[in-house]
Amino acid sequence: MQRTPLYDEHEKIGGKVVDFNGWALPVQFSGIVKEHLHTRSAASLFDCSHMGEYSIKGVEAIQKFSDLIISDLTKVPIGRCRYGAILDESAGILDDLITFRMAEDEIYVVTNAGPIESVTKQICDDNDGAVHVSYETAKIDIQGPKSRDHLLGLGFEAATELKYFNATWTEWEGHKILLARTGYTGELGYELFMDNELAPEVWNRILECEGVEPAGLGARDTIRTEVCYGLSGQDFNTEISPLEAAMEPFIAWDTEFIGKEKLERIREKDEYAVLVPIVTKSRRAPRHDFEVFHGENKVGVVTSGTFGPSVEHGVGLARIDREFSKLGTQLTAGPKGLEIAITEVPVYTQGTCRIKI
Amino acid sequence: MFPENLKYTVEHEWVAVNGDTCTVGITAFAAEQLGDITYVELPETGLAGSQGDDAATVESVKAASDVYLPIGGTVFEINEALEEKPELVNESPFDDGWFFKLENVTSSDLDSLMDADAYAAFVKEQDH
Repeated sequence: MQRTPLYDEHEKIGGKVVDFNGWALPVQFSGIVKEHLHTRSAASLFDCSHMGEYSIKGVEAIQKFSDLIISDLTKVPIGRCRYGAILDESAGILDDLITFRMAEDEIYVVTNAGPIESVTKQICDDNDGAVHVSYETAKIDIQGPKSRDHLLGLGFEAATELKYFNATWTEWEGHKILLARTGYTGELGYELFMDNELAPEVWNRILECEGVEPAGLGARDTIRTEVCYGLSGQDFNTEISPLEAAMEPFIAWDTEFIGKEKLERIREKDEYAVLVPIVTKSRRAPRHDFEVFHGENKVGVVTSGTFGPSVEHGVGLARIDREFSKLGTQLTAGPKGLEIAITEVPVYTQGTCRIKI
Repeated sequence: MFPENLKYTVEHEWVAVNGDTCTVGITAFAAEQLGDITYVELPETGLAGSQGDDAATVESVKAASDVYLPIGGTVFEINEALEEKPELVNESPFDDGWFFKLENVTSSDLDSLMDADAYAAFVKEQDH
């Protein structure tokens, strides 16, 4: 397994390490539910150094990258971030990603660990301006309503006015760090990108702040499920088109991208299933791969499912035939006929991510 | 690590013999493996069955797992506190986190269970 630059720090504080896409990462520290609730009420620290990063410089290189992905970067102002995805020729999702526009001639792209090889091939082959920087880059996320206070306390001045879904390069104690007000929790939070060598110092300095606790992949998963964010490789993969992964709002149909021709045919055929949030009435959770039924008929599959510690009932995402995907539809899932209902995004509605500061 | 006065199954249930009746729960090892327990589905009182029959379901953030009757018998009491506080199973697996009590038990089934030492050795093997 590959180790992030924070592996030793996780060992020191008793993180329970598991294999996640070939990376040795902590699934939990004090316990998933506790870490989950702490993130929602205070601030938690996550090691996300396994994720993929690309630095793309030059107007031409940016245009080449833009021609790969489903979103339109031309209208993204400097400092703004934009969600998107990169497809294969048959419109299957290779990965989802976030693009930060750092300057007129510079973007920074964040992807996932799983499909890193195929994504790097797409992004970097035939594009001299695109550099894969994952293996020398660490990513530390501080997420939760108190995250900004902690960063300001440590001298991250750039956090003062940084708006939701914005990013900036900043200097911290003489080191260059990319600070983005993003994350996958639905809470006010920041992602910090830096050279590997700097990561233990930043990690420990933030962790020393009173009220900050470390959190693992387990809590990350329950947190993102409660706010209905899909996970690459789990809620979608190369078998699934963006229309079937709740990504329709992010598709720029008037731009070019790989897989567009096939995606247009899927749209015209108009028979695709859709990814929708589901809830249970009890603490009982739907689980990944549970089949979904309407009466006797199989109408879909659960792609993510867990107990939601903040909402205190089962939550998840399911891909459902559109005919049965209307809000409020009652269905059953799994071998024991767990009752589920289709609901609205997000299931957890008290998130602080968009808070104005 | 495991209470000496209990009997154990390979499915990580424990049994406390109290005269004619038995109390059943899951072990600290099982609770630890499951992680934060978020839901426990207990049997109805009156459920009668043989050793190995389905009796309860325990769900954690990570997974769902079945709990079986460690010995034959009839459920006459369930730990209703688990409905509201399933975390009791993590906090106190051998005590407040008990699942159900059995009467009319098949006493001979107890012979097939492990004592604390045998269970500790079994767990050590599992953990490798």
